[in-house]
Amino acid sequence: MTNRTRPETPFSLLAVLLAAALLTGCATTETIDGEINPDPYEDTNRSMYRFNDYLDRNIMIPIAENYVKAIPEPVRDGITNFFDNLEYLNVILHSFLQGKLGQGLSDVTRFVVNSTIGLGGLIDVATDMGLEEHEEDFGQTLAVWGVDQGAYLYVPFLGPYTARNTPDEASSYFTNPFSYISTLYLLPVTFLNLLNDRANLLEASEFVEEASIDPYSFIREAYLQQRRYLIHDGNPPSEGYDDIFTEGLPDDEPKLVIE
Amino acid sequence: MNCKSLLLAVLFLLLSGSALAGELDGPAATVENFHNKLLSVMQRAEELGYRGRYEELDPYINAGFDIPLITNVVLGRYRDQLNEAQRTDFNDLFSRSSTATYASRFDGYDGEEFLELSREPLKRGRVLIRTELRRPDGDPVSLDYLLHEKQGKWYIISVSADGVNDLSLKRAEYAAVIKEKGFNGLVKEILSKIADMETDTE
Repeated sequence: MTNRTRPETPFSLLAVLLAAALLTGCATTETIDGEINPDPYEDTNRSMYRFNDYLDRNIMIPIAENYVKAIPEPVRDGITNFFDNLEYLNVILHSFLQGKLGQGLSDVTRFVVNSTIGLGGLIDVATDMGLEEHEEDFGQTLAVWGVDQGAYLYVPFLGPYTARNTPDEASSYFTNPFSYISTLYLLPVTFLNLLNDRANLLEASEFVEEASIDPYSFIREAYLQQRRYLIHDGNPPSEGYDDIFTEGLPDDEPKLVIE
Repeated sequence: MNCKSLLLAVLFLLLSGSALAGELDGPAATVENFHNKLLSVMQRAEELGYRGRYEELDPYINAGFDIPLITNVVLGRYRDQLNEAQRTDFNDLFSRSSTATYASRFDGYDGEEFLELSREPLKRGRVLIRTELRRPDGDPVSLDYLLHEKQGKWYIISVSADGVNDLSLKRAEYAAVIKEKGFNGLVKEILSKIADMETDTE
């Protein structure tokens, strides 16, 4: 449901998003039981979540389910590969901005191989050649540069974000070649990308539905932890694993939980 | 190395050898037993059905996970509001919910395998075991287990799948439900989820 329109100047949108990130970042100083509250706008966020959830259940899920029934899996895989390849320029940019030169060069090769031998990105031949797919974005770059996570935001139509990751909307937009085609032609393509993305997430959303008793909290926690995992390139520091056994407990309480 | 250093090194090995062997084998064995049982249940998923998978997994969940410690953490500050009987009942409910989730999700086999990647001792005697669930038709899923020793046995106290920790998820959810509906409301919600998993999978 991302209905992007071209801003008057490239920098105006970026400036607005950065300002929003900085402003919302300040709100994380609010604490609960001595811990930083990552979700200071919970009431508003929950309203936005209910709004998105309503649209999702009534519009996107039924269309996505029919799309899965109508379009064979190899074709859907090709569509996924095509859009992933177009969006990969953003990954390349942020690999370099994080100082990962070797990874950045591998990402450039991956993009060139898939765009040519892979028929414009429809076939992911690069992975079979050992050119691993990476996940990088502006939010991860800012984390590497030392910017705080900021507040958790549930954005209408878009879903979960951290304030730090909001500028990635601008970065993804400007690095995607499709953004430079007239909006009129872009709308059906954007919709196909959105629909295909939603179809790929059907199983995940069924899992959330089945496993969670408060989907809003479930999604927030899973999203924030997944972001941390990505920032550490899938290898978070070991020390963080047992934080939950001591954090937020008064000094005399750990003996309750540590045998 | 001079004679004194060599003597000290040998002495150290003699003193620590048995403990080291125990530390390395114990936690890994707990994870491996659990993985082997999951694989066995996945391979016979249809024949067993939901109820059969549940019955087979239940003793492994209870023997492999330190449920009282886990519920202490996921209930957070709310645990102080519960009496002993409520805590015992909640431990039982949590165990049933965990087993139901595994029995419901691991409902088929498609050539998956578990692979141990590393073992690492952490503070306070805990051990982190990083593993991977490899799937022929999909990206691998990283499964990281945190274990601790209690009365000579190693128990899993937390699992993270691709960086997402089960305890953090549950703690956040439980806090939100307790805040809105109270502890009894939380119990009702969990019971309802277990019932849904039973009916959806059977």
